[in-house]
Amino acid sequence: MKKMLAILAIAMVSMMMLAISCEKPEPEPEPEPEPVVKDYNFDLFVCAVKHGGMSKNKNGTYVRSVPALTADQPRVEFTGKGIDITEDYTLESITRGKYYYQVPQRATGGFVKFHIERNAAGEERIVEDAEVPFKENVYAARKYTHAWVGDSTTLVIVGTADKATKIIWSKLSESTLAVQSEGTLAISLPEGFNAFSTSGLLTYRKSDKKLYYFYLAKREAGQSDAATSVTYIAVIDPATMQVESNTAVPSSVMEETAGSAYGELMQSMIMYDEADNLYVAGMVTVNDQEMGILRRIPVGSKTFDASWNGFPNPEGKLLTVQYLGYGRALCYSRDESLGTKIDSKSHFYSIIDLASGTRMRVKYNGTDLQYCGGRFSQRSVVVNGKAYIGVGGEVEGEAEATYPTIYIYDCKTGTVEKGVELSKGFCFDIIRAMEVE
Amino acid sequence: MQFRRIWMSLISLLGCFVPLLGQDSLSVRGALDDTLMLRNATVTARSREQKLREGAFAVGALNIRLQASTLQSLTQAIDRTAGIRIREEGGVGSEFDLSINGMSGNSIRYFLDGMPLDAKGSGMTLANLPVNIIDRVEIYKGVIPASFGSDALGGAVNIITNRRNRNYLDFSYGFGSFHTHKADFNAQYTGKKTGIILKPVISASYSKNNYIMRDVKVRNEEHTAFVIKDLPRFHDDYLSLFGQLEAGVADRSWTDAFFVSASVAMIDKDIQTGATQDHVIGMAERHSRAVNVSARYEKADFLTEGLQLLATVSQTWDHSQTIDTTYRRYYWDGTYIDGSYSEIRGRGKTWRHYHRPLTVVRANLNYRFAEGHDLALNYLLNRAGNRQEDAWDTEFEPSSDVLAKHIVSLSYDQSLLGGRLNNAFFVKDYINHLTVGQNELPSTTGADKVTGSNTQNYLGGGLGSRYLFLDELAVKGSYEHSIRLPVSREVLGNGSTIYANVALKPEISENFNLGLFGTADLGGGHSLSYEVNGFFRLVDNYIRATVTETESMMQYVNVDAVHIKGVDGEIRYDWAGKLHIAANASFDDSRDMRKYTQSGDLSVTYRNRTPNRPWAYANTEVSYTFHQVGLRDSRLRLGFDYQYVHWFYLTWEAYGSASTKSKVPTQHITNASLLYSWRGGRYNLSLECTNLLNALAFDNYRLQKPGRAFFLKFRLFL
Repeated sequence: MKKMLAILAIAMVSMMMLAISCEKPEPEPEPEPEPVVKDYNFDLFVCAVKHGGMSKNKNGTYVRSVPALTADQPRVEFTGKGIDITEDYTLESITRGKYYYQVPQRATGGFVKFHIERNAAGEERIVEDAEVPFKENVYAARKYTHAWVGDSTTLVIVGTADKATKIIWSKLSESTLAVQSEGTLAISLPEGFNAFSTSGLLTYRKSDKKLYYFYLAKREAGQSDAATSVTYIAVIDPATMQVESNTAVPSSVMEETAGSAYGELMQSMIMYDEADNLYVAGMVTVNDQEMGILRRIPVGSKTFDASWNGFPNPEGKLLTVQYLGYGRALCYSRDESLGTKIDSKSHFYSIIDLASGTRMRVKYNGTDLQYCGGRFSQRSVVVNGKAYIGVGGEVEGEAEATYPTIYIYDCKTGTVEKGVELSKGFCFDIIRAMEVE
Repeated sequence: MQFRRIWMSLISLLGCFVPLLGQDSLSVRGALDDTLMLRNATVTARSREQKLREGAFAVGALNIRLQASTLQSLTQAIDRTAGIRIREEGGVGSEFDLSINGMSGNSIRYFLDGMPLDAKGSGMTLANLPVNIIDRVEIYKGVIPASFGSDALGGAVNIITNRRNRNYLDFSYGFGSFHTHKADFNAQYTGKKTGIILKPVISASYSKNNYIMRDVKVRNEEHTAFVIKDLPRFHDDYLSLFGQLEAGVADRSWTDAFFVSASVAMIDKDIQTGATQDHVIGMAERHSRAVNVSARYEKADFLTEGLQLLATVSQTWDHSQTIDTTYRRYYWDGTYIDGSYSEIRGRGKTWRHYHRPLTVVRANLNYRFAEGHDLALNYLLNRAGNRQEDAWDTEFEPSSDVLAKHIVSLSYDQSLLGGRLNNAFFVKDYINHLTVGQNELPSTTGADKVTGSNTQNYLGGGLGSRYLFLDELAVKGSYEHSIRLPVSREVLGNGSTIYANVALKPEISENFNLGLFGTADLGGGHSLSYEVNGFFRLVDNYIRATVTETESMMQYVNVDAVHIKGVDGEIRYDWAGKLHIAANASFDDSRDMRKYTQSGDLSVTYRNRTPNRPWAYANTEVSYTFHQVGLRDSRLRLGFDYQYVHWFYLTWEAYGSASTKSKVPTQHITNASLLYSWRGGRYNLSLECTNLLNALAFDNYRLQKPGRAFFLKFRLFL
């Protein structure tokens, strides 16, 4: 009898949890969120010993490319496997289709385009498709931001020069990487400040065919704790690279973007919805503590809508945002009360309902996904209507109770299923979905 | 060019000096007594090197005096020794790293006549020390006698300079590929009336190091694409000048030897690459200047019979500069584009000055209380300052760090059973005091964790024993619990390519050695000697150099537990002083033995071989000497040697698949030499060809070494 009661209880709890996790969203129009990618691999980046973002890693960066992240896949092993990219490439990269584009680590003085191939035995290798030297403008590995313009055949790269006192740009051909044109943006340092932010954030909005460049200035170059100016939004004509407007953002609206040093080479901080509203993750100071904020530049406008905040009552910093479709976004943020170090196990995933401004922790079987270490990471990717969310227990000094695991969120239904596991012993930093031809 | 003008001035100066010192005041009694050729006689006495090898400790000994006429630098000779591997970053004057039985270069201490070599200036190394002044080199593997008062962990290299009892003059000049020139002059003169002994030394070397870099990427003419070319290095000039005058007296009632000396060292070095050759540098430079004064006092039967005192005090003012004031991005063809970051550090422009005063005080008291029984008390103070300032970067805050070490040791040596059994016992106390003032890049250098001053104390000790069964068979073993305090370069960086790590912990090691050796006289002038040494090192907080992913910079880090075990062996054959064949091979197995990470998880690198270090290498050398070839009292020696270094991974084996991992490839290097001496060694002419087969060689990851090179050297010894 006791056994039957126990089985019954377990069954009831299971049904309840399933109901919670499979909670259906309100009926609403269902536009196709993103073009369907026919075939793709997932490239998983890990670092040895410590997390690798923000060039913090000194122990090596390794990447494996796998065809699927579903639970039926074997655990992804990294010991003695994967491509060692440490000496040649950076963890941070521009990606599009099957290709990676970057200023490589090996410092040969140019840009490189490559892709990752996997042979029949599942072993990966990097194939370089193009490498071109810098023309006049020189960029350092990682320290730039980018946007694809027009029909995405042109890549615009923006960085800083002369001890970060001027902002330079280059336009590259997507196919050959040839530098088509380059120059310096007509933006001056605000009075009293002597350096621009390392890269700022650049994005291209299709609806008005404009580049939006978010930047700020620092009192002293190279110092992370230097006093900063307000954030500015420069609207740029991508054809001429002329700055059409340059607007200061009131501190109450947003003090800084969520990141301003390495563009979106690693973390996604800007997103668009179907209507082409532009969303930017940022920070404001609340009670002497930097807290996350999500602002929106409505379609047709060139400034933030100060009345709208997609990340109210924050627990801490907002680190990444990715649009899921259906008026929802996936965000990665931090609970300051649980720790503020890079490896603090205080980072978690939530789903934001952009219409209501409410958000809810991502759950699996009714339980919140666990907190993660890795402030500088991008372990989530959205492709073909699904968000693949990586949760790792990799925190220096703490035993990993579980294997790093991928959870798969269905953007349409909101259901969450467990995916593949990754081996322990490495710091899991990035998932990228890369097309396969 | 400034280098060339200095060079020509120096040659002129030497040209004037040689005839002056070559006059009758010098006792010219023939040259190179040690290399006198004895015909129709067989001498079987043991050399000093042989005696040293037969001591209780594991020692490699090299007679440099016999090789001085052909050697370009000391590193050449040491690199051919069993268990020793020298990794060079490039050509003449490049940075190098020496390992003994698998322990890395900074675990090794260098001494010049028992005093730390860096007292001559931070730029003075085995690579630029004048070869002609050196008599022999002692290489201690693992366990180091207490008399050095040192905290070496992997071993020590002690360079013994010539101490002749007569006046002499020794001059050499050589030139070779890549615009390389070297001149050494040293002499000894004893005043007839005063008995004051003067020993001047002048040494200079210069090289453009413009050897060909193969398969490097440069821009095409339109600057639209990369093309692959072979191109010469273009910014690697090196100039080293060293001058020293030593004056003193010997064999007086109040002293056996009392000398004071003053030396000046000057090194100018262009910087061509970062930590890998992809990072091309075209303007940055490094300069160092050092002035040293020292005094040495020796007295036997000091205060009481049997008590010997050796006391040395030395003060060095070392000033080096790293000039990194150009925002340029260079390519291997010498072209560049203006960039936004400095060449070395990849940040703002800097002109960093480092003032590193070094005080060394050493005292040895040795008391022979019975025949074959010696008790010794040793003290060494090594205090290095590190004051940094920047002549360009106005935002840089000057800082001052101090690293002071006091090492006290007590040793007892005994010789029993008529000298068949030798034992040595010793204890050492290490006191390390660090004051950290620098706060640049605190999260990288650890300056945010270690501030102010701290003092730490460590105890070590060991023993050694040797038993001689027969001339053909002897056994020796030694053990030491040793501490190796980080050197200033590891803790404080070098200001250009090495970040500081002020949180670095000392290495602690249990060192075990066991060896067999012997010499067999086969008759008819044939002799064979051999030596086999096994070793085991259990190292905690092993200090390893890592190339950081950012800006091609290096940094030294601790690895928790590393076990190194291995064996090296050498066999030497000689026939009547004519035919000499030697071969040695070394193998060491260094593993990460930390099974669990700090978090308690199984470490993925557990039992992995320690990366970025050679672990299997071998050398062979053959020489044949012809006597009386052409001129009177002449000899002609033809030599050939081959070096093999097995490939190794740059990073841990567990990281990444084998096919994509970065490796330092296998090396096969062959060298050939020819030496012609006449008038009993008074005149010597040598021609050497290094890397005879022009092999592509790398000691370090993506840092190509020179290809085939020739060097012609003339040496005069009066």
